[in-house]
Amino acid sequence: MQEAEANPHAIIRAENVRKTFTLSRKQRMLEKSATGKKVALDGLSFTGYQGEIYGLLGPNGAGKTTMLRILSTLIRPDEGDAFVAGHSVLRESEQVRACIGFLTSELKLEDFFTPAYLFGFFGKLHGMSEEALHKRREELFSRFGIDAFAEVKVGDLSTGMKQKVSIAVSIIHDPSVIIFDEPTNGLDVLTAKVVTDFLEEMRAQGKSIILSTHIFSLVEKLCDRVGIIIDGRMAAEGTLAEVSCGRPLEDAFFDIYKRTVTGV
Amino acid sequence: MNNILTVVNKEFSRFFKDKRLVLSTLILPGLLIFVLYTLLGSVFYDETTVYTVKVVHPSVFFSALFEPQEGETSQFSLQEEEEGEIEAVKEEIRAGTTDLLVVLPENFDALLAGGAFSPVGEAPNVEIWYNSASIDSSSAFGTVSAELDALEDFFSNRFDINISAGGDVSTAQEAEASYYAMLLPFLILTFLFSGCMGLAPESIAGEKERGTIATLLVTPIRRSELVIGKIASLSVLSALSAISSFIGTVLSFPKLAGGDIGSAISAYSAGEIVALLAIMLSAVLLIVSLISITSSYAKSVKEATSLAVPLMIVVMLIGLSTMMFTVSSSAHAVFLIPVYNCVQAMAEIFSLRFSWINLVITLASNFVYIVLLVWILTRMFKSERVIFNR
Repeated sequence: MQEAEANPHAIIRAENVRKTFTLSRKQRMLEKSATGKKVALDGLSFTGYQGEIYGLLGPNGAGKTTMLRILSTLIRPDEGDAFVAGHSVLRESEQVRACIGFLTSELKLEDFFTPAYLFGFFGKLHGMSEEALHKRREELFSRFGIDAFAEVKVGDLSTGMKQKVSIAVSIIHDPSVIIFDEPTNGLDVLTAKVVTDFLEEMRAQGKSIILSTHIFSLVEKLCDRVGIIIDGRMAAEGTLAEVSCGRPLEDAFFDIYKRTVTGV
Repeated sequence: MNNILTVVNKEFSRFFKDKRLVLSTLILPGLLIFVLYTLLGSVFYDETTVYTVKVVHPSVFFSALFEPQEGETSQFSLQEEEEGEIEAVKEEIRAGTTDLLVVLPENFDALLAGGAFSPVGEAPNVEIWYNSASIDSSSAFGTVSAELDALEDFFSNRFDINISAGGDVSTAQEAEASYYAMLLPFLILTFLFSGCMGLAPESIAGEKERGTIATLLVTPIRRSELVIGKIASLSVLSALSAISSFIGTVLSFPKLAGGDIGSAISAYSAGEIVALLAIMLSAVLLIVSLISITSSYAKSVKEATSLAVPLMIVVMLIGLSTMMFTVSSSAHAVFLIPVYNCVQAMAEIFSLRFSWINLVITLASNFVYIVLLVWILTRMFKSERVIFNR
């Protein structure tokens, strides 16, 4: 047991991931870029261990979302590779997608369908049997209080209920890894609480979670380990205690930011 | 395969559970075409209208022109009028109570029987007074002046055309077939395209715009499965929409043009009908794939619809090609050109010039194009620039 804790199982691994985007003419003028390229990730490496919540912390445009999109196989890295539960995002993208639950405010559910229909649809895409689907539906719908709204079109649901349905749909296949991009962005306090409670519950169940955020309090509340990304590079990484060195995380972050950007 | 069926199922649910979509895509096109064509037909070909024609100095020969055939009623009611009433009748024409006034020379019958030739401007004049602002008056003028021209030709006859010998070497069925060969490929292509245009932009660009396609892409489904599922379901729905429009056309055609597409189609053999369906299937897959590609490239449904318009113009022009020229059956290379090959292969079948080689070239080349387009679409679904280009 002690050995297992000393050598925890790495479940998410990014290795020298590099991603460059070509800028449009308008973006080129805004960014004042001569090359027309923007380096979103510049050789980023980090490891997330089983059963922990790993937080990617950084300002807007640091490359957090790009990294999570690469982990969920929505986009491919230009260089380097990333592994989820031992599967390469480059070579085994379908296996990667089979073991992750990906959630972001950018991913929406069709307003026209009901939660019950969407649950069945996404369950089938995950290759679940009718029986497994039924069982999972009962479990998740009662956990998130969706039962009463199962046959209401998503478009007619409140924002909070929509978020709950999105969560339920994203973990329908009981994934071992949960990837969450800006989990509480744009949510009211009650819905945000639902999300944070859910993440803690998942960790308690032994799931591995990686989330991106720029909210310090969220990292302090939830994360076991944190990686600070600035300009596509890992500026600091470790447990919360290691990164903040006994100070509030916010103060530690701004020191790291100043050091990285100005070189002082 | 299961994932393809799941996507097809979802697309069908999205369509058939949406009453407005079913109404606007399946019911309205056929219904509107039927109502529109029937109305047009009744305006242009209304055989129940009776034109009131007033005649000054009536003539036996003139009246004989408007004698009804046996079993029919005449469309012209001829009424004798005094010379002094000419101005009053003109007012009636202006008011719409009379359609036409014909003032014949006093000795019209004798003039005709005499057969004397006079140069233009010196011959006795027939006056026809009409009102071009009135459809009935104009129609009556057209018919009466044509009849008078024919009467004049008859009495100053120098030669006949096709009276003792000569005629059409094609059978009545062949003549009708060549008419449909000109018209039907264009109609079919138009219906398929408009059906697809109402569906594909919403299904692909719409999902992209609303952010729902990315939710699909983080499931283990392969991009190719998603593309094939989308194209298959959109093709079926576009075909259903085209069938609706086609039924509307078939039902209204007798009223519009006097023909009967239904009975014309029943004249073709089962093999020819199967070949036609195969060509239409390849055409719908081709069109759906093309519009799906432009829809994937577009940032919104609006942009996708705008991008499909130039494509529609090209397809329409290709559809019209059968009205301008026919391709020789031995020109096999022509049947390698996508869309154009569908039009020409359909025209061959409709005009009873069916060629197996051209059918096989059309279907095989279209299959290659469809595979290529599916491959391109799959690549597009893998590209972040396409999927996140919002």
